[in-house]
Amino acid sequence: MGEIVLSVAASHAPGLAGLYDGAPEETKAEVDKMYGTMAAEIAAADLDVLILIGNDHLANSRVLEYPDFLVGMAAEHHGPYEWYQEWLNCRDYTLQGRPDVAEALIAGMARRDIKFFGRRSNLFYDDNLSIPTVLCDLDTNAVPVVPVLTNCNVPPVPDQRQCYAVGQALGDLIRNDLPDGMRVGLFGSGGMSHEPGGKRYFFIDEEFDHWFLDMLEADDHERLLDEATPERMEESGAGGTAELYAWFVVLGAIGSRPCSRLGYTAYDNFKCGVGAVRWQMGN
Amino acid sequence: MAFEGFDATLVTHDLVQDLKWDPELRARFEVDPTPVLDGYAFRPEERAAIDAADFRALYDMGLHPYLGSQLARLMYGNAAGPEATKAVNRLVASLTGEDRPDNATAT
Repeated sequence: MGEIVLSVAASHAPGLAGLYDGAPEETKAEVDKMYGTMAAEIAAADLDVLILIGNDHLANSRVLEYPDFLVGMAAEHHGPYEWYQEWLNCRDYTLQGRPDVAEALIAGMARRDIKFFGRRSNLFYDDNLSIPTVLCDLDTNAVPVVPVLTNCNVPPVPDQRQCYAVGQALGDLIRNDLPDGMRVGLFGSGGMSHEPGGKRYFFIDEEFDHWFLDMLEADDHERLLDEATPERMEESGAGGTAELYAWFVVLGAIGSRPCSRLGYTAYDNFKCGVGAVRWQMGN
Repeated sequence: MAFEGFDATLVTHDLVQDLKWDPELRARFEVDPTPVLDGYAFRPEERAAIDAADFRALYDMGLHPYLGSQLARLMYGNAAGPEATKAVNRLVASLTGEDRPDNATAT
């Protein structure tokens, strides 16, 4: 049986790379603290695989044929995809994949009546994988990664309860289907409040973001499932804040666990609330 | 709701995806958009809205906002910093009907 030995979640706003230099010093310090902490803990976890549940921003599929969950099955993941390079302004990277784990996820979720799509060729990665990679040094630390990209904004979107249930199945799969002793990390990549492409493009709902982080630290999954509805997400940033449903996959996989916020910052030009959390795993 | 009027069949969605995924097509679009746009079976009002960079009209027809933001970057510039900031502000100005400086970095 595999073991989830590390669980974190964080925003992946593209400005964290391309607009970082122009940000206020206190914002930079908060970003450095959050992602630096995650980088150190991921590096120290001696992971066999990091399953990164992040949002697909219409980068890989047409809206007429959109998967809710898409697994990157490649032996190596290269990014950022060409069109996003100048937009992100981050380094190019190559990550080691785990095609065997990717195949186990697709087959195992199907046995649990959940459809995970997969692609053997390199997926097109934007900020979803690129920001955690370069800010947490996943490439330079040779962390093997299996990306699972979620549908966060092509209706109908899997909501908080669906994503939590997918997470519960994922946790069961990790514990029962993956090889004995496999050390697994989970990374929820997306959010927090933002409205990409909308009238309120620069809007950040700090009150919502802090409420969400408070709920995680309170370890109150039931209240989160009751209150983090699609309507609430839309109020806090149409088409963007629901990226946080990627974090619900992690929540479902690990169940009740102590959670700590690693930091938070709201800088207008990032156009996104930026926060990060870590769950305590093990005994 | 952001997606109340979303219409997945709008051809503009295919245009944006093709321009992202096909660097050669994108290069031709940057030199002269007209022949590239002529290759798509847009509804007449859809083509008129693209030609006028009228994002409000495109959203009303059902354009996905995230692809709307990417269409703005394809039109006005994609690089982090002033180019992408200009694209954001032109998009927001079209959606709200309010004038915005190209270099605004807040609401």
